Amino acid sequence: MQPFTYVLPENLSQADAAARQPDTVLKGGGIDLVDRMKERLQTPARVVSLLPLRAELGGIAVEADGGVRLGALATLAELERHPALATPALAGLREAAASTASPQLRNRATVAGNLLQFTRCWYVRSEAFRCVHGGRGPTCLAVTGDNRYHAVMGYSDCVRVHPSNLAPPLLALDAEYTTVLEGKTRRRKLAELFPSDPRGQAPEHTLAAGEIVTALHVPPQPASARTSYAESREKQSFDWATTACAVRVVLDGGVIEAATVVLGAVAPVPLPRPAARLMLGQKPSAALFQKVADAAFTGALPLSQNGYKVTVGKAIVREALERATR
Amino acid sequence: MTVPPDPRAGVSRRSFLKGSAVAGLASTGLTAAATAADGPTTFGPGAHDIVLTVNGAERKVAVETRTTLLDALRDGLDLTGAKRICDRGACGGCTVLLDGQPVNSCLVLAIDAIGRPVQTVESLAQGDLPHPLLEAFVHCDALQCGYCTPGMVMSSLACLQQRGRPTREQMQHDLAGNLCRCGTYGRVFAAIERTAQAGGK
Ligand SMILES: Cc1cc2nc3c(=O)[nH]c(=O)nc-3n(C[C@H](O)[C@H](O)[C@H](O)COP(=O)(O)OP(=O)(O)OC[C@H]3O[C@@H](n4cnc5c(N)ncnc54)[C@H](O)[C@@H]3O)c2cc1C
Ligand code: FES
Ligand code: FES
Repeated sequence: MQPFTYVLPENLSQADAAARQPDTVLKGGGIDLVDRMKERLQTPARVVSLLPLRAELGGIAVEADGGVRLGALATLAELERHPALATPALAGLREAAASTASPQLRNRATVAGNLLQFTRCWYVRSEAFRCVHGGRGPTCLAVTGDNRYHAVMGYSDCVRVHPSNLAPPLLALDAEYTTVLEGKTRRRKLAELFPSDPRGQAPEHTLAAGEIVTALHVPPQPASARTSYAESREKQSFDWATTACAVRVVLDGGVIEAATVVLGAVAPVPLPRPAARLMLGQKPSAALFQKVADAAFTGALPLSQNGYKVTVGKAIVREALERATR
Repeated sequence: MTVPPDPRAGVSRRSFLKGSAVAGLASTGLTAAATAADGPTTFGPGAHDIVLTVNGAERKVAVETRTTLLDALRDGLDLTGAKRICDRGACGGCTVLLDGQPVNSCLVLAIDAIGRPVQTVESLAQGDLPHPLLEAFVHCDALQCGYCTPGMVMSSLACLQQRGRPTREQMQHDLAGNLCRCGTYGRVFAAIERTAQAGGK
């Protein structure tokens, strides 16, 4: 790691001011950032730690309207254990947190950091490779290189995938995020955190320099809402998903009244699929779920080594749907 | 609240008094942090003396901002139990308890541990007297090359402390962040079971 100045703010306004200095990065748990700094992918002059602001930016709480506020600094371990997430409506979020990384990492990793972690593409994450998204070259090397873990859809000139476990369930729940920049607070739909045109040169999120995520908000859920999360991976633990799916369904008298399907790890951004609409007004059935799974991967264009993601991904969609409607 | 800056060695009176992350440091009177009158506390980029609370004792150690907790323990405090294997959060060899929770000390900045209790595997022996969990590891032959063992022990300790009598499934969940290339997992679980049965945490 290169030497840097480490800033420990005492309050949000100090953090806000410090984060807007040149050549400065924000740090939550530091799992992704310290790794990238060790690899010299990032060599900031100043690092602003948000950890001293745990009281303000941490914690999980049920809000007055019944929604749930996740502090940006809430850890994945807290998500895994907190009673506010112990409902069928939030099961998918809890499962996604509990299946992330390892217990040690979940004790440090924060909600905001998980959503904002950089792609795992091995070309992007190695200084040695001159790739477009790494800012070191003209093209995406995975297109013609080793692309077994890369995108099968939703890409243009760069086939990185978005690795966050929490993004698909939070999108399925229609979550919002709050940020602070130059003293101004803004609250937006989570979908706006991710670029609409995720080209090679596009950053992985839409935050302005120095903009601090302060919280995520999960809207109140009807009693009959259910979410679930399923993923495929190569190892039992310690591994990012090769495909992931979060679903949300609302059942009314055995009929599906509302449905959302969001795919993870298959595209440069987490991907809501319009195929979910096929379920509206229908009764849950294996045949219906197969149809939705097939439709969710319509238009997929796998690369030379990742065709398996389409087959496996469909099974993961079915598993998530079956679990949510069981 | 405005408190006039204290002229002492660059540490403001306010940062001297406040109960923030650097309280442990400030209360020892060390002048590591350079704090502007009403700006945030800053460290670095050079070296600082900080105080860490390791195994119940306050220990002074020189670190840079980029020094990890693991390197501060191993190189600064000669506590070489925690192992530096992948140095990237991907093996669990460096597991210590921070605030009573297992963490990968290779990804924690040493400065982030100021004022928070750190527990390493060295705490589990008082002279020749081993903790029941260590005894169980020996009895169950739960190590081969032993490289992963300090991390395994600390994750096992946290599992026992949090669950009392964990099931095998809970052990698998709690130890999923520790890799052993010698394949000792089954015997580690047996050692946890043995410790739990004897009522030792
Ligand atoms: C071995 C291993 C396995 C893993 N497996 C998985 C997995 O299966 N699934 C998964 O999802 N993840 C996985 N991870 C990644 C891990 O979950 C993320 O690195 C972690 O969640 C990042 O959170 P953090 O708080 O440490 O973020 P940091 O490293 O502190 O920050 C990450 C990025 O977000 C920015 N940032 C952080 N907080 C804020 C904020 N409040 N406002 C604005 N910007 C902010 C930082 O500037 C930085 O760019 C794994 C990691 C390892 C090492
Ligand atoms: S050395 Fe820290 S996890 Fe491997
Ligand atoms: S005993 Fe050799 S790595 Fe675990």
